[in-house]
Amino acid sequence: MARIHVVTDSGSDLPKDVRERFGISVVPLTIQFGDDIYRDGVDMQVDEFYERLRTGDTLPSTCQPSPADFVKVYESIAEAGDTIISVHLSSKLSGTYQSSVLAASMLPDIDIVSIDTLSASMGIGLAAIAAAEAVKQEKPKDEVIAVTERAVEQLGVYFMVDTLEFLKRNGRIGRASALMGTLLNIKPILTLQDGVVTPFEKARGKAKALKRISEAIAQYSEEHTGKKLRFGITHAAALDDAEKIAAEIKEQFPVHDIVIGPIGPTIGVHVGPGTLAVLFYPVQ
Amino acid sequence: MDLIHGSDLKRMLQAAAQYLTNEKERVNALNVFPVPDGDTGTNMALTISAAVKELDDLETDACGKIASAVARGSLMGARGNSGVILSQFFRGFSEGLKGVNAASGPDIARALDLASQTTYRAVMKPVEGTMLTVGKAAAAKAGEIAENSSSAETVWVAALDQAKRTLADTPQMMAVLREAGVVDAGGDGLVCILQGALQGLRNEVVVEQASAPAQVVSPAHKEEGITRIAGLLVNHYCTEFLIKGSALNIETIKETLVPEGDSMLVVGDEELVKIHIHTDHPGKVLEYAGSLGELTDIKIDNMKMQNEGITNHAPPEPLGDPKPLGMVAVVPGSGLKDIFTSLGVDVVVTGGQTMNPSTEELVAAVERVHAENVIILPNNKNVIFSAQQVKELSDKGIGVVPTRSVPQGIAAVMKLNPEAQLAENVAEMEVGMRQVKTGEITYAVRATKAGDLEIEEEDIIGLVEGKIVTAGGSVTDVTLSILQTMVDDEASVISLYTGDNQDFSEAEQFAELVTNTFPDCEVELYHGGQPLYYFIVSVE
Repeated sequence: MARIHVVTDSGSDLPKDVRERFGISVVPLTIQFGDDIYRDGVDMQVDEFYERLRTGDTLPSTCQPSPADFVKVYESIAEAGDTIISVHLSSKLSGTYQSSVLAASMLPDIDIVSIDTLSASMGIGLAAIAAAEAVKQEKPKDEVIAVTERAVEQLGVYFMVDTLEFLKRNGRIGRASALMGTLLNIKPILTLQDGVVTPFEKARGKAKALKRISEAIAQYSEEHTGKKLRFGITHAAALDDAEKIAAEIKEQFPVHDIVIGPIGPTIGVHVGPGTLAVLFYPVQ
Repeated sequence: MDLIHGSDLKRMLQAAAQYLTNEKERVNALNVFPVPDGDTGTNMALTISAAVKELDDLETDACGKIASAVARGSLMGARGNSGVILSQFFRGFSEGLKGVNAASGPDIARALDLASQTTYRAVMKPVEGTMLTVGKAAAAKAGEIAENSSSAETVWVAALDQAKRTLADTPQMMAVLREAGVVDAGGDGLVCILQGALQGLRNEVVVEQASAPAQVVSPAHKEEGITRIAGLLVNHYCTEFLIKGSALNIETIKETLVPEGDSMLVVGDEELVKIHIHTDHPGKVLEYAGSLGELTDIKIDNMKMQNEGITNHAPPEPLGDPKPLGMVAVVPGSGLKDIFTSLGVDVVVTGGQTMNPSTEELVAAVERVHAENVIILPNNKNVIFSAQQVKELSDKGIGVVPTRSVPQGIAAVMKLNPEAQLAENVAEMEVGMRQVKTGEITYAVRATKAGDLEIEEEDIIGLVEGKIVTAGGSVTDVTLSILQTMVDDEASVISLYTGDNQDFSEAEQFAELVTNTFPDCEVELYHGGQPLYYFIVSVE
């Protein structure tokens, strides 16, 4: 019988245990420190990455997987007649989605549906979980796609970075460029709009920024009364902040479940250490 | 004199401006707050001086036209709250003289009455015991006398006498005045104007004198001085500088420089002297001063060109790319200027604590912003009023966020949403500005009482939201003490902005002390560069 598989990329920041529980496969992006090239999560792990970012003098960059990388993964999990739901990084931030579309056209025997989440980090991860959950519930293909697309549509994203330098250096700063160059220590709270980094607010100090994020979630939760929210909280070497906000979220909002995980090298290169992201969508 | 003719009125106004200019330091010292930015005298003097400048090129002998020119000039030149109220006084006065060629006693009484009414209308909550009360009493007396006398001079004298009596009563009307042991500064300014005008009417010459400051606690701090003086611009380079030396003799310097120009101000002590002079030979002045000591902070402005620039209404060069919404902020120091600029403010007007910008300066700043809608952040309670006047004088959409301090201004700017409309932004910024507490640390310019607090001259004083809450001998103690009152459980960020005379490495050590004292807060230290205030602090 034809099966449905779920694939994502390493920009989804899904922890290994969650991936295994839901049976989600990952295509890694590559990280380059000078001439050294590593596959995210394969040749380089999270801790190692931040250590190198902190101590090294070369600034890393990322590279999308090639269509061939996708073909390799797709072929390894699917047989002719199977379906793959391939859930990926915002096409406005990376060429990863494009590679998956090209790979799909190279494999006419497998039914591959590439989905552009217009999101990043656990935003992709949550969409992948939504897809995998629907597959587990043995929903038909069309319904799995519909569930995934609805999650993508309703995704809420707020993140704060320690500095905008990383986003700027890698050309991902988007509309937040207006916040550059302030002399005050301002914690920018950012969001993604149509897949592009967009300023949401400025706060002085971390405590205030976290409070503002909570308030934004409260408003979202009000707009979706009666629904339980599934949260993804990711952090770049800021586990304390992540746990703190997770505790607050549990206390204040109707929570379906919370997935906490580190921001891996793929996203970490672009946002830098200290980043905290909260992502959520209402579970139907 | 029964009738006041146009030439008389001109002389009266010019004499009034000169009289108040001579008296302004004395009026400044009447500030109920013993903080060193008492500037009511300066603000009123600069406002009336700007107003009478309109008379220079005016070819008319009709009182009504003269009064109306002065009203217009005072509106543009209005500085600070007292200056704005004074401009409204002139506005009412000119309405009373509309169509009048030579003014009789009843004409003057009517003009004073309308002047008083207009000042009451200009403030939202009129307070008695102020310039308003003095003007009202003078107008009432004038009306009473005019019923039996047609002599303009008789009416004016009666109004002046009543104004003086009412001024003396102001401490009975307002507790803060009584506590500080002073009469109302704005009321005194108005009396000076009426007094000077009477001397002008009687052809008594009001001699220009450098008005000696009541006290020069720290000359390096004192930025204010006479920068604009009534009359023709004979000497057109406004020259200002400091001499650092030893055994400097102020009297000798004054004597030597008197022939070189006018509007001279020489203040200071044996080691530091500040000089301000309008001269046609700035080189000669500097050459002489340089022989006495080291010269610093030299500033030479060509007032003639400035004047022409203003009267010709040369269109200002807009800044940068056009955008829907821009911002103007009034900020007292170089470091703060950089901070506001980095936060996206288009034009920063320097001023606030020592010198309130005039409405005209704010209009000019607004015109330079390359946007159809402009938000003004006054950042000082004494600038809010002038900022609101800009609405009437500019064709652009103007929003004033009534920020009373620098921290409020910063909190407001943080709320800017460039995509939203003007009104929405103003509303959001007003919410934002209330989320911050402001503290200021300065020194007392005289001994006074504030509530239960006995304050000695030169004590360090700490203000929270504009109210004196503590006094002491050291900046460190006073700052820590006001922070104790400001920080509560909700507080998360403490910001310290250093003044222009603060040693930054000492301030860094102090910031560390603050961090240790308030472990739950993030402490941030920035160079503010504001004069007179050792620290401006905020807690949010």
